[in-house]
Amino acid sequence: MSPALLEIERLTKSFGGLHAVRDCTFSVSEGEVIGLIGPNGAGKSTVVDLVSGFGQPDSGSIRFAGEHLVGKRPDVISRLGLIRTFQTPREWRNLTVMDNVLLARRRFASESLWRSMTRAGRIRRAEDADRVEVRAILQRFQLAELKNERAMRLSGGQKRLLEFARIAAAEPRLIILDEPMGGVNPVLGARIGEAVGNFAADGRTVIVVEHNLPFIEKTCDRVVVMDLGEVIAQGPFSGLRDNPRVVDAYLGMDQSHD
Amino acid sequence: MYWVSIFTEAGIFAILALGLDVVWGWCGDFDLAFYGYLALGSYMTFVLAIGKPVPPVKYIIGWHLPVPIAIVLADVVVVGLAAVIGAIALRNLRDIYFAVTTLGAVSALYLIVQNYTPLFDGFNGVFGLINPGQAALGLTYNGYRIVLLLVALVILFLAYLLVQRLSRSPFGRMLRAVREDERAAAAYGRRVFSAKYRAYLFGAALAGLTGGLFAIFISAFNPSAWSPQELLVIYAAILVGGRGNPRGVILGVFVVYTGFVELTRFLPSPASRPEFGPSLRQILIGLLIILMLRFRPEGIFRERPGVDREPGARPGPFRARAAATSPGSPPAGPAVAVATGADVLPRAAEPAEAGEGLAGRPARGAPREGHAAEDGGMQ
Repeated sequence: MSPALLEIERLTKSFGGLHAVRDCTFSVSEGEVIGLIGPNGAGKSTVVDLVSGFGQPDSGSIRFAGEHLVGKRPDVISRLGLIRTFQTPREWRNLTVMDNVLLARRRFASESLWRSMTRAGRIRRAEDADRVEVRAILQRFQLAELKNERAMRLSGGQKRLLEFARIAAAEPRLIILDEPMGGVNPVLGARIGEAVGNFAADGRTVIVVEHNLPFIEKTCDRVVVMDLGEVIAQGPFSGLRDNPRVVDAYLGMDQSHD
Repeated sequence: MYWVSIFTEAGIFAILALGLDVVWGWCGDFDLAFYGYLALGSYMTFVLAIGKPVPPVKYIIGWHLPVPIAIVLADVVVVGLAAVIGAIALRNLRDIYFAVTTLGAVSALYLIVQNYTPLFDGFNGVFGLINPGQAALGLTYNGYRIVLLLVALVILFLAYLLVQRLSRSPFGRMLRAVREDERAAAAYGRRVFSAKYRAYLFGAALAGLTGGLFAIFISAFNPSAWSPQELLVIYAAILVGGRGNPRGVILGVFVVYTGFVELTRFLPSPASRPEFGPSLRQILIGLLIILMLRFRPEGIFRERPGVDREPGARPGPFRARAAATSPGSPPAGPAVAVATGADVLPRAAEPAEAGEGLAGRPARGAPREGHAAEDGGMQ
């Protein structure tokens, strides 16, 4: 197995008296697709927030590509090559689809105030290559016709695709998807599964937080199961059915899939 | 000469509005301290240019610099004050909390200037910047006033070119992304505070410049010449012209200034109630803001997002709409909504078809906006 890209160790976070995450430990290897599952309130989203810097743990450590993430701001963590999504697509509503994806290219140097004043022409020319690339990405996600529309105009499903187009444009090392299948119809679901597969094929590491177990079974190499803030099991999906704790906590209520 | 004066004033305030629009229109920060930057720029220009105070008049510095240099130095001081206020107010405060903090800052500035006489001579204020350069240029009074108008318009034009360039640059795009969704912007590596802070200082620099020009225009400055609530007119002008659209902002200032000055000129002003005119003006501006928000919240000119053009093609301005109605796109939903421009209530404006998934099936469980509060659950 290749070395761990993300190592989470004894992560703990409580809100008041509520232990959202307790002693959570797991790691993710480079190139793996991991499913993070568990019932509502298990602490999955809190783990995502802690890893991406949108919250600070009470204790524990998070290492990503050798860097300690605890105490770092979300933008700093993102610049290390980690992109996360949120439970609802968070498009920049009044910007065009094109601009949404161009922003995900993350050309920070061209966003300097001074250079934008003095080197506007050069920046614009440098952006042309990105525009070509982004047009191809939009084509892939069937958003090409809508590139000059404001993102708020898109349907719910198209907003999901825009989210994936942005990730594709960002070319991160680690992708954390927080419930990518929420409110998605089966056809779109298949496309999202395909997109996750493509990320994996490009060698990117993916963590999927999801309630849709068939989707997890299809796309993930390995599953981490959480309940009440703790990791209660991890391993290949097929092995989880025999784990009484998992069945009790989660799978038990979802027999219909088998 | 009356109209020369009106247009000069409108031209000067259009520069202020351009700066305020960067802060409010692009970044979404409702800043109430902004008029303080104009005032400080004005005061500093005076004390740097009018020479030593003659007792009993008191004020700081009292240099006798050429006016353009005084304006530049004054602007540096203004940006310094904005750097302090912005560092406190922009760090974690947003929306109403930011507005209240900046209002507190400008109120403190107002009270200090009013009551601490060694600074800018309190209520008496500073004066004596009477048509600087008129003699050197050999101009009559009226000639000087026309030249001043031209200078104001030229500086406004240069400021417009600069702001327009920034508006279309990756910097402007990034600020708008931060405005639209801070968390998503941070998730894509944007330093939210730094972005807002840089925009704030840029806006304050334009406000300070406005203050310098205003000093020349009115040749005396004291607490009765400004108050923090003057800013309301500028906000109204931005709203009328089009928030986030530099051209619209300038148009808005000229419409509101000339419109209101002309309207209120014919209002009766009984001698027993001298406050009647100004009060009515405030009421009318409030009414204007309400009407704009109700009927055309995007203003006369809407903020224009960047249009991506394929190389080679030289499309007309309506290409964006044409593309949306072309065969490959989903059933007319988006195009109809664009054509009416009524996307202020996006949920309501979206026809039912727009809710369809790509495959043409209705996406019943499409994510709803109301869920936004769920993700994260912590700040």
